[in-house]
Order: sequence, then structure tokens, then C-alpha cells
Amino acid sequence: MRTTPSNKLSKKAIRAWRVSMSIFIFILVLALFFLWGYSLMSPESEFVSTWTLIAISVFLVIITGLIVFFVPEIRWRRWSYEVDKHEIDLQSGIFIVTRTLIPIKRVQHVDTRQGPILRSYDLADVTISTAATTHRIPALGEEVADQVRDQISTFARLAEEDV
Amino acid sequence: MFELQRQHPAAALANAFDIIRANFITIIILIFVGSGGSEANFTLSWIIGTFLFLLIWGVISWYRFEFSVEEGELRIERGVLVRKKIYLTSDRIQVIDITAGVIQRLFGLVAVEVKTAGSSSKQAKISALTREKAEKLKQLLRKEVNGATKQGEQDESVQQSRIYALGTKDLLVAASTSGRFGVALSVVGVLFSQVEQLISEEQMIRFAEAVMPRTTDASIIAMWIVAIIVVSWIFSFVSTIVKYYDFVVEVREDELLINRGLFERTQLTIPFNRIQAVQIKEELLRQPLGYASLVIESAGYGESEGNSTTLFPLLRKQQIYRFIEEVIPDYNTQITENSKVPAIALRRYLLRMVWVSLPVILLVWGTVPYGVYSWFLLIPALLLGYQQYKDAEIARGEDTLKLSYRLLSKTTAIVKKYRMQACQIQQNPFQKRLNVGHFSIHVASGNQGRNFTVRDIEIDKAMDYRMWLSNGHPVDQGSSVDENEVSSL
Repeated sequence: MRTTPSNKLSKKAIRAWRVSMSIFIFILVLALFFLWGYSLMSPESEFVSTWTLIAISVFLVIITGLIVFFVPEIRWRRWSYEVDKHEIDLQSGIFIVTRTLIPIKRVQHVDTRQGPILRSYDLADVTISTAATTHRIPALGEEVADQVRDQISTFARLAEEDV
Repeated sequence: MFELQRQHPAAALANAFDIIRANFITIIILIFVGSGGSEANFTLSWIIGTFLFLLIWGVISWYRFEFSVEEGELRIERGVLVRKKIYLTSDRIQVIDITAGVIQRLFGLVAVEVKTAGSSSKQAKISALTREKAEKLKQLLRKEVNGATKQGEQDESVQQSRIYALGTKDLLVAASTSGRFGVALSVVGVLFSQVEQLISEEQMIRFAEAVMPRTTDASIIAMWIVAIIVVSWIFSFVSTIVKYYDFVVEVREDELLINRGLFERTQLTIPFNRIQAVQIKEELLRQPLGYASLVIESAGYGESEGNSTTLFPLLRKQQIYRFIEEVIPDYNTQITENSKVPAIALRRYLLRMVWVSLPVILLVWGTVPYGVYSWFLLIPALLLGYQQYKDAEIARGEDTLKLSYRLLSKTTAIVKKYRMQACQIQQNPFQKRLNVGHFSIHVASGNQGRNFTVRDIEIDKAMDYRMWLSNGHPVDQGSSVDENEVSSL
């Protein structure tokens, strides 16, 4: 979609996303193991057939390949953002590309958030709220995140005007 | 002027009824399910017990509810178990509603609801008050808003405010073509499915045979469908009349006053500068008759499902823009440019309707006798898709954006450039091939805000509109130095 916003996320975002996706997958795998164990221990039970289990397992392997190895990469490549005096411009999406424009004077508050995974990679999310919507710039380097947050809030304060 | 005081004791009753009304459907279902057996006495005592409990609760919460106005601030202390203090400064108050429900009318009282940015309106509701006190309260709280208080008041009395009322004929038309029809349909459908528990199927068939000598399965199904439609139509007819009876809009200097309702008189005050967007809704049943309704979005938070208010329930299509011109002139701007959806996107509109209707068709086909006929649903679905394609449009005027789109009924949203909260363009790979994308605008309304979307507009045009929207700051052009500073992030 024509020109894209100029700033990219931190390269480390890909690794952080991979970790969080892996944890999610790990939980699914645990559940699957439980099912396998159950069906192997009591072969006469009709709860799930072996074929269904095999199908689920194959499916899980494919999903894992996709969301652990490809999706974070694509997501990172797609994501870009730009903040200036008048507006915030975001581009995101894996399959569906979304371009978002937020006039700076509409910003109600902005904050940074950091979960345990992001923290271990020194990353943080920036969350921008307007009166109608909430937007997130994910996985920025800690310092950049702080800078962006302060920048936005300074601009928002300058552009005085209420709802 | 307003010392710390309690509400009128009738608030206890009003509170109890509020709870009942909020959980009405749950209660009905409980009664339906509960009264299955022969123990009618048990059900009755259960109902009375619940009611008594609610009443006692109401009395306690009335006792614990105190309010006052000090230093231009509405202060409310409330809460039975957890004590809450709510302070609302008058310059933050967005809307003050005065309503009179059945209970309030019995005692000649009113309820006052104060909506602000940030606090939930339900919490700042004073549910029983004499009208004089309510008016005084309103005056007191509005006073601080307009700096020139006394002058404003005098002007108001001198300047005659314009009034628009809904005529009886229009009310009847509005009721018979109400958009609530669909909602009523689903409720009645559920109720009808309960009827089977009360009357056995055999009785029904015997009744049907008595009425119509040659009955087949098909005609019984047809009869059911007709019955459900008729009953839900009556429902929607009555509920619309109850809601919009004696509908009056009063245009004041800086606010709109809407009065409506048969049993429950509702009075809404909407300051002009709180209006976020205007919608012209051409409902499916009204459009062929040349009618539409006007809805405005206002920025009161704390209400989960957005804050739409019907500005006028029924207008002839030719009258709409004149009405807007007279009542909210800001929203009647000359359209200078408009763009339709490109012809190439038509197939996306048609296909979308096929995807939407296919599950329904397959489900009906698989489960209901004579379900094969459900394939005929495709025809209206495709027609609707075509109409959606025809109706989708973005237009702009000086500082106004007008988005038209249709799901079932056609909506035309008029949004001011400076009211936009965010603008979004979406494109999936299929759309990329056709160079189209969805264009949506978010405005503030309630907690969630509201968004208006035009689908499959040409991507270049969408980007143009976006550019145009972001240029909403003609004042400081020469500040390019600051921008360089920013881009060094």
C-alpha cells in the first residue's frame, strides 16, 4: 500500500514471539500427550480413535512449523510505525494488511507494557488509547518504547483539544 | 444549595424494579422452567420471596445513597457493602437525562442520570427526585458549563426554541416498519419453541385440521412461520409506539432536548459539541416507502453498547437534509467529491453473500423437511449483495466525510474530520489482486466507540482519503523542524 511507515520493530521481536508461540504450542502438545497416553493405556475406550489422534498430531506439527517459524518473521516484516507531530501511522498484519492512522490530538493516554517474555528480551509494548479505540505497537526495544511513549504524550499534550 | 441528602423514599421501589427490569428475561425463563411441575404454590412463594428480598435491598440501598452539589461538583456516596464516593465535576458532564418511569410517575417524581466521560452512568443515577429538585440540579450542573450563565438563561427565555414533533401518522408508520422487527422475531421464535411444552403436538395438529381441512406438513410449517412473523410484528409495533410516543425534539441554543415515551417519559439533553457523528438509517422495510431515521452518536462513556440516540425516528427521504440543516447545520455540508466501489469489486460483494448464506442453507437443507427450498434463499442473498455493492460509497465535503454502506439496511454516516478517532485501511491478498481494500473510521461513542466501514473501495482512493484526513492541521505548516526531530526516533 504505497509508502510504508519508516520505523521497524526491534529485530529481537522475532525471537520473543517465537518463544511465546512455543509456550503456547507446548501446552497444546502436553494436552496431546495426555490424549495419546489415555488412548494407549485403555485401548478399548471409544473416546478418541487412533486415526483422529494421528490427524491431530500431524495438524499440530504443521501449525507449529507455521506459527513458530514463519509467522513471527512475516509479522515482523509487515510491522512498521511512524510517529510525528500530527499523527501516528501503523502498518501490521500477517495475512490481512492493516494501515491505521491516529490523529495525535485524539490520544487519551499512552503507556508501555512488558510481560515476562518481553522483559527477558529487553522489549516492551506501547499501548495507545483514544476515546474509541486501543492500538498497540508491540515489541519495541525498552529505550525506544520509552522514547516513543514520551514523544506521543508530549505531542498529545501540545495538541490541546478535548473529545 | 444542595446539602447532603437522600433521594425520595420511592427510590427503594424504583431500585427494586430496575433490578427486575434488568434481569427480566432471566426471570421469565426461570418462571417458565420452574413452573413445569404442578407445584404452582412453590413458584408463587418463590416469586414473592424474591420480590421481598429486592424490596429490602432497595430500602437499604436507598438509605445508603446520599448526594449533594458542592463547588459545582455532584457528589454521590453510595453502596450497601462497598461504600463508593463519586465526584463529578460539572465541566466533565456530557449529558444529563431526566426520565420518569412507571414507578416515578406514580409518585410524581423523576430520575436523573448523569453521563460523563469516565464514569459509568448507572452509578451516577439518582432514581427518585421531585421534578423541581431535578430541574434545579440540572441548572446547577449546567451553569458551570456555559461561562455566561445568567445571560444564557435570559436568552433562552427570550429566544423561542424550535420544536419538531412526530405526528401520529408518522408514529404509526414508524411502528409498523420498525427495525426492531428482527430482534422481536428471535425472541418470539424462542418463546414459540417453548409453547410446545405447554400444548402437545397432537392438540396442535387437531386444531390445525379443524381450521384447515386439508393440512399437510408443509402448510403447518408455513402456518408456524406466519404466526411467528405476525406475533413479532405486533411486538415490534407496540414496543416502538411505547418508545417513541409523543416524540419531541427541541432545538436550543447549544443543545438538543429530546422527549419521548409512553409509560416512561425520557428526556435527553445532548449538547451540540458532544455530537460525534450522525447516521441516516434507511431500514429495509422503510426504504421502499421512502422513509429513513436519524441517529446521532454522542461521547458519553461508561455505556457498553455505545451511545446512539435516535434524533428522529421517521423522516421522508427528501426531508432528511432539510431537517439536518435546521437542527444540526454542521452536518449538512456540500459534498464536493465522491467515489463508488469499482465494478471489479462486485464479485467480492456477491461471493460474500454466498458465504454468509451457505451455512444457513445447508443447515436448513439437512435438518428440516422441504429444506431443499432453502436454496431459493440464494436469490435474495445475491440481490442483497448487489444492492450492497450499489450503495457503498465514500464522499467528502469541506471537513466532512460521508460513508454509505449496507448490511441489511442502508446506513449513511456523516463524520466530521476533527471528530475522527482513528482511520483504518485493511487489505487481504485477494483484495490486493484487485487493488481494493476496506476503509473504516472510528468515532467515540460509549466505551467501545463505533466504526463505520466501506468495503472494497479502490485502495488508491482509500489512501487519498486517509491522506486528506491526516491533513487536518492547516494551522502550523511551518513547523517542519519539529517533525525532523521526531523522525530521528
